[in-house]
Amino acid sequence: MKKNVFTLLAALSVLAMILAACAKPTPETVVVTQVVTEREEVPVEVTRQVEVEVPVEATPEPVEIVLWTKEGEADGGLQYVQSLADAYTAIHPNVTFEIVNKDVETLREDFLTAGLAGSMPDLLWTVNDHAGPFTDAGLIMPVDDLFDLSQYVDAALAAAQLNGQTWGVPISNGNHLMLLYNKDLIETPPMDTDELVQMGQDLTTGDQYGLVYNQTEPFWLVPWLGGFGGAVFAEDGKTPTLNTQPMIDALQFLYDIKYTTPIVPAECDYDAADTLFKEGKAAMIINGDWSLGGYKDALGDKLGVARIPQVVGHEWPHPYTSGVYLMLPISLEGAKLEAVVDFVNFVTSANNQALMIAKLNRLPALKAALDDPLIANDPILKGSADQMVVGTPMPTVSEMRCNWDAMKPEMQAVLAGDKSPEDAAAAMQEAAETCIANLD
Amino acid sequence: MKFLTPDVIWNSLREVGSTVLFIIAGTVLLEVLAYFLWSPLGVFSQAVDQLLKPLGDRVRSLLAGLAVVAAVVLVVAMVSPGQEPSPLAPYWPVAAVLFLIGLFISPSATVIFGWRLRLPYMLLMPALVGLLLLVVYPLLWELNVSFTNLNPRHFKSPDFIGLKNYVEVFTKPVLKQVMFFPVFLRTILWTVINVVFHVSGGMALALLLNRKMRLRGLYRTLLIFPWAIPQPIACLAWRGEFHYEYGFVNIMLQRVGLEPIQWMSNPTWNFVAMCITNIWLGIPFMMVIILGGLQSIAGEYYEAAEIDGASAWQQFRHVTLPLLRPVLTPAVILGTVWTFTNFNVPFFINQNELETSDTLVTALFRSAFQYFNLGDAAAFAFVIFAILLAFSIVYIRVTGGLKGATE
Amino acid sequence: MSNVPSAKQRSAWERFFKSGRQDSPFKRILIHLALIISSIIAIYPVLRVVSVSLRPGDRLLSTSLALIPPDATLEAYRVVLFEKEFPVWVWNSIAITSATAVIGVVLAATSAYAFSRWRFPGRSPGLVFLLSTQMLPAPMMMVPIYILASKLGLTQTYRGLVIAYSVTSVPFSIWILKGYYDTIPRELEEAALIDGVSRLSAFWRIVLPLSTPALAIVFLFNFMAAWSDYLLARVMIASERPLWTWVLGVRDFQSQFQTQWGLFSASSILVMVPVVALFLYSSKWLISGLTLGSVKG
Repeated sequence: MKKNVFTLLAALSVLAMILAACAKPTPETVVVTQVVTEREEVPVEVTRQVEVEVPVEATPEPVEIVLWTKEGEADGGLQYVQSLADAYTAIHPNVTFEIVNKDVETLREDFLTAGLAGSMPDLLWTVNDHAGPFTDAGLIMPVDDLFDLSQYVDAALAAAQLNGQTWGVPISNGNHLMLLYNKDLIETPPMDTDELVQMGQDLTTGDQYGLVYNQTEPFWLVPWLGGFGGAVFAEDGKTPTLNTQPMIDALQFLYDIKYTTPIVPAECDYDAADTLFKEGKAAMIINGDWSLGGYKDALGDKLGVARIPQVVGHEWPHPYTSGVYLMLPISLEGAKLEAVVDFVNFVTSANNQALMIAKLNRLPALKAALDDPLIANDPILKGSADQMVVGTPMPTVSEMRCNWDAMKPEMQAVLAGDKSPEDAAAAMQEAAETCIANLD
Repeated sequence: MKFLTPDVIWNSLREVGSTVLFIIAGTVLLEVLAYFLWSPLGVFSQAVDQLLKPLGDRVRSLLAGLAVVAAVVLVVAMVSPGQEPSPLAPYWPVAAVLFLIGLFISPSATVIFGWRLRLPYMLLMPALVGLLLLVVYPLLWELNVSFTNLNPRHFKSPDFIGLKNYVEVFTKPVLKQVMFFPVFLRTILWTVINVVFHVSGGMALALLLNRKMRLRGLYRTLLIFPWAIPQPIACLAWRGEFHYEYGFVNIMLQRVGLEPIQWMSNPTWNFVAMCITNIWLGIPFMMVIILGGLQSIAGEYYEAAEIDGASAWQQFRHVTLPLLRPVLTPAVILGTVWTFTNFNVPFFINQNELETSDTLVTALFRSAFQYFNLGDAAAFAFVIFAILLAFSIVYIRVTGGLKGATE
Repeated sequence: MSNVPSAKQRSAWERFFKSGRQDSPFKRILIHLALIISSIIAIYPVLRVVSVSLRPGDRLLSTSLALIPPDATLEAYRVVLFEKEFPVWVWNSIAITSATAVIGVVLAATSAYAFSRWRFPGRSPGLVFLLSTQMLPAPMMMVPIYILASKLGLTQTYRGLVIAYSVTSVPFSIWILKGYYDTIPRELEEAALIDGVSRLSAFWRIVLPLSTPALAIVFLFNFMAAWSDYLLARVMIASERPLWTWVLGVRDFQSQFQTQWGLFSASSILVMVPVVALFLYSSKWLISGLTLGSVKG
């Protein structure tokens, strides 16, 4: 009996190995078929535009570039990235792409994990504040020597600079908050906070609100902090200055427009704000340049763009500006590095920047593309550019992360009516300091 | 690749098929090896046994234990936490030899390699290898990391910092502002509330269902529903129902004339929302377990109780409960452990990431990934693990349950 | 206490507890009422998801409580099925999940038999170890598993995922199966052994067929765990879109700030169908199979 068992096992193992050997080569084939089918979907205008300039040349060595992007499908960002990659593959058939969309937070976590395991992607398309942790960990390379950075807008470059080097090539300039309004409900946007409150109260009736914004993220608090004359960091760019009168004033202001003179909903995150505005149930929304495409589709000509209203007796609010960047992992070398560098230049070429302006309504990072008539003629992009003027570049340092995390729960506590602005500001400062001390 | 073409179907079948074959081949190889090695190893262990007999069993067990512990320590030190391989990595044969020495010195070696136990060990082998790779290795890695300062600023070669991480779990905030003990107490509260409702709700439904009646099958089917839904979907659906304006709960509250509740931004209500969701999710499991237990209680007990004139409550108290105990004890332990470590519910319902409604496990997730302070997080994880282990041991000792499961 | 009530016991038992005729009509109505209310609570949230999936795209969030919204539409289902890669993802999930559930059951069934029928050195520590794996917080294991998988070249393949799923559910499966085997009298196998049948075939021919309920439960649990897993799938295959499982795909409908609620609900309903069907189909075994190793005579 025992012998039988053994013969069976032996026979099975031989069979299994033969079968396993036969069934080996799969993943590569999968990828290839995908690229072929998707190439058919390349938007015609892209391929046409570029093929004239660059002759098709066949390079023998095949390169596959794994690109992680924070652009999602919902606002067309991912489709835009994919179309660029497809267009590039059409010109250089040896270079193929695997585009992966990840949430901003997920992208950061996964890239750090991948770095730890030594299996990084080949290119990142992400926000500027990732440069902090990624350079701390030594996972991305400086781009100063690889590209001609003088062709990009200084403000966009500034948000990716750290320790005297630049850590990403800017694709767009902005990523800033602004005031968007529905022309059906408001003729002229409010110029200062008094007007905002007054108009807001008139417009807040039943299931309609004067203003909506994401009440859960401190990204929406920072403009007001600036408007009341404060800043997140002291001059040195590293010491948090959160327990200040401007912060208390800003928190008090957000509290007031919710409870004292209510013009915002009682509970409102990004989704809720977005939906209310798209449905015409909110007259104004504070949201970023990434959302412009979606609102244009939803509201059409009814969409208006303006600066966030000036704080009475103080300044215009200063939203953070940064941009979207291409970052190069440290593991790149040889042919792959060359292909990636070439692709980055392709993405930020004048043609593709124009395409981005048209498709995503974002302001370009390439100086040459700033003169594009699209910007001057489009009232929405003009409004967005006007808001940029009073923006501040968002810091890149890892300490910024501590500030965000310190502000978030306190801002929420104030807006839930659980804490006074004074206590919250003090708690923020303390939390940020503890966190920064823990970074090392 | 967008559509489900025959090509796509074939490719993924081939991938999965080759994986299955790969696993079968590996298993067969392992089994063949064990099959042939067992007798020679038996002979060898006999020889060693003869040689070491004068030492006595106690000394041998002690030495064997020391050797195995040394091997494990060496392995832990070898598992590199950083990007660069550990300098000790080339010494893995030493660990292997140490382990083997320990194995053969031990007085049990002749029993282990006796022919009687070859079959059970061969049966265990595949699962054992799998668990070593996917549970033991990660544990050793975490253990190593918990003694280092692995974080983005010390990524390539983190330093050994001893027990500092463990001390800091208790002395520094585990999240941004919240210290360990408030989170711990909240987790206990969370566990107690949930398990109490799971057991009492499950018990009530099981008692109602445990009778001959119409539609019994239909009720049972419907009541099991929450268990059958993939958890992430259930959590997201519930989160939608707690939406301030569009959620079912607030709409109902308003229709009966109450004020709507800020489920997402008020920590207390957020915690209540988490509990409601998890109670809803967890009752079916308990119901099924208790129903199984009730059906195995013989009717004669009730008959006897009735003859003695016991009321319904007395029957429940003195017949049903004690006889359900062997079923309930492991179910309560599992329920407690699963609730304590539940990730999906507290994570998805706490959409605004309120620290003041986090439980230990979601706190662990945030502390690991928000700052990528893996060293701190690993120590934190082991503290949580130790708490659960201690609870289970005490509970098993006190109730004497689980005899059936571990004996 | 006896596990199998005799005929006489059963009749007494049924007369006492199972017969509804003894309950007064009022009590019966109360019981039905309680069960109906509980059932509604159990399925209402699911019905709400169905309702959202039927809403036209511009009215996903609304304060209406109607389960079938006015101008209900199947548009979201059409988009999910014909315009997204969703069918591919579901297919991938089906392939991966079926394979892992089968492998997991085989691994657990054999190991549990060893634990149930032999005493060997390492048995008690082994069982305690299996129990303690249930106490490991899942997020803790992800980083090291990813590192290991990428060292072995198993990331971005099904191979790593299938192996990981099959193994991670093994401890709990062993627990359930061992408990069930324990309730099967050894005498049955011993009789067969005397007849000259080998131990393995006694296991195959006698123990396994008797354990169908527990095997079904273990299969179901393994299937459920792999089917709705997000953490491991994200770690292992997130970078290869063609390999995605449905969970990763559905997560993709929820980008950072925006959730495509219509697509999300429609796809949730679609992926719920196979699991719920499997679950309800095997619910007849649920009650007898889940002994948790404790209902012993």
